[in-house]
Amino acid sequence: MGEKDAILISKELKKNYGKLVAVDGVSLEIQPGQCVGLLGPNGAGKSTFIGMVYGATPRSGGELSVFGLDPQTNSRDIKKRVGVVTQEDCLDEAMTVQENMSMFARFSGVPSHEIERRVRKLLEFMALDHKRDASIRALSGGMKRRLVFVRALLAQPELIILDEPTTGLDPAVRHLLWEKVLELKEAGTTILLTTHYMDEAERLCERLIIMDQGKIREDAPPRELIERHCPGYVAHFRNREVGNTLHHYLSEHPEGVVYEDSAGVGVRGPDLPWISAMVSKIETAPEVVRPANLEDVFLKITGRGLGSHA
Amino acid sequence: MLETFSLSWRVAVRHWLIFRKDLFANVSPTIIDPTLFLICLGLGLGAYVNQVEGLSYARYVAPGLAVSTALFTAFFECSYNFYVRLTFENIYKAILTTPIGPREILFGEFIWIVLKGMGMTSMVTLWLVVFGFCHWEYALLMPILGGLVSFACGALGLIASSLVKNINQFQTVYSLVISPMFFFSGIFFPIKDLFWPLRWLANLSPFYHGVSLGQHILWARELGVGLAIHGSALLALSFLLGAIAYRRVHPLLYK
Ligand SMILES: Nc1ncnc2c1ncn2[C@@H]1O[C@H](COP(=O)(O)OP(=O)(O)OP(=O)(O)O)[C@@H](O)[C@H]1O
Ligand SMILES: [Mg+2]
Repeated sequence: MGEKDAILISKELKKNYGKLVAVDGVSLEIQPGQCVGLLGPNGAGKSTFIGMVYGATPRSGGELSVFGLDPQTNSRDIKKRVGVVTQEDCLDEAMTVQENMSMFARFSGVPSHEIERRVRKLLEFMALDHKRDASIRALSGGMKRRLVFVRALLAQPELIILDEPTTGLDPAVRHLLWEKVLELKEAGTTILLTTHYMDEAERLCERLIIMDQGKIREDAPPRELIERHCPGYVAHFRNREVGNTLHHYLSEHPEGVVYEDSAGVGVRGPDLPWISAMVSKIETAPEVVRPANLEDVFLKITGRGLGSHA
Repeated sequence: MLETFSLSWRVAVRHWLIFRKDLFANVSPTIIDPTLFLICLGLGLGAYVNQVEGLSYARYVAPGLAVSTALFTAFFECSYNFYVRLTFENIYKAILTTPIGPREILFGEFIWIVLKGMGMTSMVTLWLVVFGFCHWEYALLMPILGGLVSFACGALGLIASSLVKNINQFQTVYSLVISPMFFFSGIFFPIKDLFWPLRWLANLSPFYHGVSLGQHILWARELGVGLAIHGSALLALSFLLGAIAYRRVHPLLYK
């Protein structure tokens, strides 16, 4: 697809807060129907980027176009087509669930006769209907999070921006939310998601953008990222003393990489036979052997852990 | 334009919904405070005071009390309440994800404060009329005056919100700006005999012009002169303060 079809086009986008550069020349395009994950350590600039996309934050430089419109001059028309789950809940604590959702439906221009039905349906889906008349103050943290998700979907947006939507959710509810995201994706909604959960990113997104210090470090499908940065398997030892033996082994088998983390020492090798050969040679059984995953990639790219110094 | 207005209106409605939840607590001070003032000053102190401007003391203070309702309502709404919505409750952050933008939020704030000021001033005026502390001929002008004073003093509150570093600093603004404005407004004594710099300063205060116009209205004296001098000064100051407030607060909502 060409540039003309893209829902979001960002060119050399910049945002400074005083001296601090929060977003530092981000260029990317998002096509309709894509589900894109935006990953990066705390302070990488994800939320700031998102704020510029829906026009809540002015940019300091570069170009940005969403649905062919400039968020700086035409955020109202953009926001009519975008639903946002903000990183903070920002709910009106003094109101009840129903009141708050009806109010936001009105803000978003949902026709009056539709409001009641739409709120009810979404609350039911998020398993919140029994809390309809509860004051928001009386909800648990995870319930509030679910309510923010409901709020973002009220206007049936074409682009959904989810800034850490599942933080604080229990595993069952997290699956519920994933189910909804996949359903939306199926229906052709474009999704931009930030998360610190790599399993979530891998499961939901067909494309991952890794940001660090305001810059894009990677932009590829999850499988490709793993293949490119951390192909193979990882054996993990809890006993750090194995470290020396491992380094010694690797000096003769440079295909592997050793790293230390809070839980012990790990080795990544190109395939399972390589791992077994190593294990039989050093005569210490690892606690875990697993395929390398996105977390390994993330830590490597953002400067910590697996092979980042290799 | 129409859409801007309807979105701003919805922001004002949001504030009304929250206000309505605690209606009694929110409205009672507005009624009780001026009543106490009237009893203490008008009847208590008034027993020792001869006529002021040819009026009994209770009748002298009555218009100012109605107008001061607008001052306090507006200042507190646009300082503490606005600041809490902005920084602690993050209400605007959520609203800004909808088609509502910073402009609509600010217009909504102004609509709300004008309506709230009108409502509160009307209640106190009604009270004064019922108890016979004022002339009722022009009393219907009081809600409009209340709305305008509320707008100007609300703008002051918003400007304060853009200046403070934390919520405690509103105390300082209150002591240095709002209190002097209140006491030197002609509400308790005519300021025409005051030291000239104070009189000069009073002319910069929207509240002084509000109180003066309120006196013309509720004493039923020289309404035309009052409107011409204080009405136009109040309009001009409202416009100026509103513009400054808009320019200062907009960046807080869009940064
Ligand atoms: N309003 C602001 N004023 C000043 N600096 C800010 C502001 N908002 C964000 N920043 C700074 O910009 C940088 C990027 O912040 P941002 O919130 O975009 O990070 P993030 O990637 O969303 O992080 P997290 O994963 O913690 O949510 C940080 O250094 C942050 O301190
Ligand atoms: Mg963030």
